[in-house]
Amino acid sequence: MNIKHLLKTIAILLAIVAVFGVAMFGLNFLTGPIIAENNKGAEFAPLLAVMPDAENFEEVTSTLADIPESVIAVYKETSGKGFVVRAKASTQYSKEPMELTFGVTADGKICGIQLDVYTDSIDFRTKDANYITSFLEKDSALADIGTVSGATYSSTAFKDAVSAGFSALISNQLIAEGVKSDSQILAEMIPTLAPGMLKLEDAAVSGNIEKAWKSGNDAGFAYVIKSGEASYLALVNATGACLVYDVAGADVTVAQTAVADEAKAHAAAAQKSYVDALTTKVTRLYASAAEITSIEINTFNTVVAAVSFKVDGAEYYGFYSRSIGFHQMDVYFVIDANGAIAKMDANQFIFDKEYFHGFAGMDDAAYKAGFEGLTTDTWNGDAAVIATATMTSNAVKQSTDDVFATFNAIKGGAQ
Amino acid sequence: MKNFFKTCLLRGTPSMVLALGAGFVMASSADIRAALGMGAAVLISMILTSIVVSAIHKFIPAYAKLPVYLLIITGFVSIIEMLMEAFFPIVVNMLGAHLAALAVSAVIYRDAEEVADHNGEWTSIKTALSTGIFLTVIMIVCALIREVLGNASIWGHEIAFLANYKVSALAGAFGGYLVLACVLAAIKKLTGAHEHLEEEENE
Repeated sequence: MNIKHLLKTIAILLAIVAVFGVAMFGLNFLTGPIIAENNKGAEFAPLLAVMPDAENFEEVTSTLADIPESVIAVYKETSGKGFVVRAKASTQYSKEPMELTFGVTADGKICGIQLDVYTDSIDFRTKDANYITSFLEKDSALADIGTVSGATYSSTAFKDAVSAGFSALISNQLIAEGVKSDSQILAEMIPTLAPGMLKLEDAAVSGNIEKAWKSGNDAGFAYVIKSGEASYLALVNATGACLVYDVAGADVTVAQTAVADEAKAHAAAAQKSYVDALTTKVTRLYASAAEITSIEINTFNTVVAAVSFKVDGAEYYGFYSRSIGFHQMDVYFVIDANGAIAKMDANQFIFDKEYFHGFAGMDDAAYKAGFEGLTTDTWNGDAAVIATATMTSNAVKQSTDDVFATFNAIKGGAQ
Repeated sequence: MKNFFKTCLLRGTPSMVLALGAGFVMASSADIRAALGMGAAVLISMILTSIVVSAIHKFIPAYAKLPVYLLIITGFVSIIEMLMEAFFPIVVNMLGAHLAALAVSAVIYRDAEEVADHNGEWTSIKTALSTGIFLTVIMIVCALIREVLGNASIWGHEIAFLANYKVSALAGAFGGYLVLACVLAAIKKLTGAHEHLEEEENE
């Protein structure tokens, strides 16, 4: 190749580059703004979906303080129409967090909401197609927003994510806080006052009962009951014990006997008794068990039945706990008079092995034996651990905690 | 005309004979919109490249043809990509890097090097047109099969009654090649291409 050919080749290549360069430079004037608009549209598409009349958005996440972990981003509508929040939420069934986007108008009401990512095995949208749209027009109080029966965890997580988004806006004084009704305040006290009532579902109301919930694990009922001008929260556990609270969270059971009686009567008609099942279990564990006596308990955890009994003159206490792991768990404990676990049993530990990746099986007998002899002082949760089955382990741990709490309440007398 | 199409299928469509471009045919045939977009991009870039190459091939030294032709193809593909990004962003999103990879596609380069480099503009355009059209048709046929059976949708709209019966593997790469192979086999059978090829081998 001589220098002339080389120069010719270079000239041709440069000419082609120049021609295309100029063409693309010119074309960029036409397509550049359109592409930029498209990119902006793609970025803001989820935001526009929940606030269609928005003109533009500006992300303000980094300028806000005390943002809950579940809030992914907060956008401000530049013409002052409100804000759009992107949030995420996880449940114990989630492979990946669910993600949602909702718009809040300047006066603090939800103007649009959508679920962007959802991977739970149970889809609350198929169980209640209107659940998501029921959030529209609600303020931060989220009045009358409950959970979806059969998809309690995921719908609760969805609602909590919306609440977290509101918290971010309210704590940064971007919107005013919605006013919660007494009924709502009382309902929000349930998980704290009755932590064993899991998977609450709406129940039928009657008389002075404004709202009623039945726990999915049969641990009891919760009611908001009107008495005069005030509303009260009444909790009835699986053995029929009742506590009444006012909106300030004070125990007013003694003063509000009518409320307690109404709650007890309502619960008695629907509460399933687990005493017989526990009695049967006790007699299987101890063939010589005698004087089996049901005990009413005043704890509001996952324990649904308790009995006392004697074996060869020695006193024992039997407990039936219904915690929830991957599925409903039925866990039994027998505790001796000194507070040490004598026996532990469960109907089933592992339900669907295919969901437990890497599950190598478990020795049920050895696992149960690991609880024997444990007392409140020596129990630290380790005995409940089942490798790779975190949800089941947590459920057994909760049951053990609850049984010890109930035993101590019985023995202490101040349940 | 019948012979023209048949000849195109047998000889003119590199995807038919040499399986050139099978990569982008597979990549863009999961959705009919993507198939149409890719088909249009291939067709236009082939025609434009053929026109330019057939016009200037006499001035290009033999040793410089590869870089020059690739530069021309890259230029046209870049322009087409810019236009599609502006006016058909959804299709560009679907095609991803495969649209830009057209610049080094053997189909377009073969068309430029084997046809446009040795013929006049009209013949080159005709060949580019037939090759491009048939590639587009193959992509659309594959996309129709893959989108309907693999995704239970058509033109992005869900086909509700098929939702529980979709064969997801067809939407993936393996399914793409499988469907492409079946479509090529069917075309060869329908057009008698296998007999034609056997005759050629005997000769």
